Amino acid sequence: MPSNIPTTFIQWISFLVDKYGQLFLRGTGVTLLVALTGTVLGFILGLLVAIVRTIPLPRGKWYRQLPMRLVYLLLNVYIEVFRGTPMIVQSMVIYYGSMMVGIIKRGTPVLPAAILIVSINTGAYMAEIVRGGIISVDKGQKEATTAIGMTHWQSMVHVVLPQAVRNIMPSIGNEFVVNIKDSSVLNVISLNELYFTGKSAAGNYGRYFESFAIIACIYLVLTFTVTRLLRLLERKMDGSKNYTIYGSQSDSQSEITIPAEEA
Amino acid sequence: MGEILQINHLEKSFGDHAVLRDINFSVQQGDVICIIGSSGSGKSTLLRCINFLEQPTGGQILYHGKDAATAWKRTLYNSKVGMVFQSFNLFGNLSVLENCVLGQMQVLKARRPEAEQRALEYLEKVGMAAYRQARPAQLSGGQKQRVAIARALCMEPEVLLFDEPTSALDPEMVGEVLSVMQRLAAAGMTMLIVTHEMSFARDVASRVLFMDGGVIVEDAPPAQLFSAPQQPRTQEFLKRVLERQL
Ligand SMILES: Nc1ncnc2c1ncn2[C@@H]1O[C@H](COP(=O)(O)OP(=O)(O)O)[C@@H](O)[C@H]1O
Ligand SMILES: [Mg+2]
Repeated sequence: MPSNIPTTFIQWISFLVDKYGQLFLRGTGVTLLVALTGTVLGFILGLLVAIVRTIPLPRGKWYRQLPMRLVYLLLNVYIEVFRGTPMIVQSMVIYYGSMMVGIIKRGTPVLPAAILIVSINTGAYMAEIVRGGIISVDKGQKEATTAIGMTHWQSMVHVVLPQAVRNIMPSIGNEFVVNIKDSSVLNVISLNELYFTGKSAAGNYGRYFESFAIIACIYLVLTFTVTRLLRLLERKMDGSKNYTIYGSQSDSQSEITIPAEEA
Repeated sequence: MGEILQINHLEKSFGDHAVLRDINFSVQQGDVICIIGSSGSGKSTLLRCINFLEQPTGGQILYHGKDAATAWKRTLYNSKVGMVFQSFNLFGNLSVLENCVLGQMQVLKARRPEAEQRALEYLEKVGMAAYRQARPAQLSGGQKQRVAIARALCMEPEVLLFDEPTSALDPEMVGEVLSVMQRLAAAGMTMLIVTHEMSFARDVASRVLFMDGGVIVEDAPPAQLFSAPQQPRTQEFLKRVLERQL
């Protein structure tokens, strides 16, 4: 090794890739895992919060509305607090807070805590995003479900949410991309995600620039790929733009495929 | 002939604004009741109160003699009192067929094969079976409204409420929707129709209600209401409208 200590930028890069490639890959895995599960769980959380916030207040006297109003208030506090503070601070508070009250013990794996933090944080943003999606669905459709006797829940599941979710797909994807990048703050609770591995590699040789140039490239590849994949998924969700007219009693039995008009 | 609905002293205000005042009438099986009146007179609000899209602030709606607000389950009542909207309100995420299947499966707990069969049957009746696979966004206004009617019929309602079903349509599509409604009337469907189509009201209605300022001013068979209106307000309204339409 002493005979071939790297001297140029390129040499340092290939040296670090060679020596820490495995570590970086594992860091990438952890980053993706935390970002993906955090986004999915956060989405589910946001969905639930948004659905609860659309439940109409019960009719009648004020004290019958009190429990529901209390729930609204709590959900608003949750959303305000988690959108109004940085995730890096939330990480510290949640992690060391749960250690203090004994939910997690010193030395237990940090990954579950990390996923929890990202999920709760994402949930607060998702709640607002989903709410926007629900509002974006023309409220006449909701009335039509009521008019044929469907319940609030049935209407949400079968009519409103599918369209709301389709409408907010770009924002959901954006949250995922944000989480890929912002999960880097979890290095403050020593999660061995991508940024953390970069820091370890950099520290060992004092090559901060080269190490983080590599890390930056990996982040960029991740976000770029994910963005394209999501766009593909969106197109898939829109389904076929064509439909078939079936022969009816008055028509012949032939089937004609009609291309859709541009929406 | 049984009585399906009886509206007793129905009131509705939005805040201080009284939109419906002391509305009384009844709907017998087979009735085709057209509701006419100028814009803002409370016609939509009346229909929306009847199926509880708006909560009435006074009075009572009896469905088969029992208070619809308390003695009937809301979902059951709504499935029996169907509604067709001015703006169609088809479910944008579902195909034409699924628009007609959803309520049957969710509310009536029908099985899919039966639900699809019934959906196709009613789509055939409105001439839209060939489009079963299409999405609402791919249809013209007239086609959308015919699907909306089929969707309502699939619940096998006892009464259908129509809120200006042709007002959002291009003129050349009004006919196709009116003729579907005319066939329904001929088949004995009980209907409550808010409309500005005076010739349709005159030809198809068994009764016409004229509303003004949140009250029913006149309630009479079309022959009488159109040729010999009793109330000055009715006379004035008809004079204004018929000059334009006929
Ligand atoms: N949700 C609402 N809030 C407040 N006012 C309303 C609401 N809906 C209707 N109104 C008022 O009630 C009156 C009657 O409206 P509407 O029933 O739509 O009349 P029409 O269908 O005969 O044109 C109007 O003055 C309208 O402004
Ligand atoms: Mg109206």
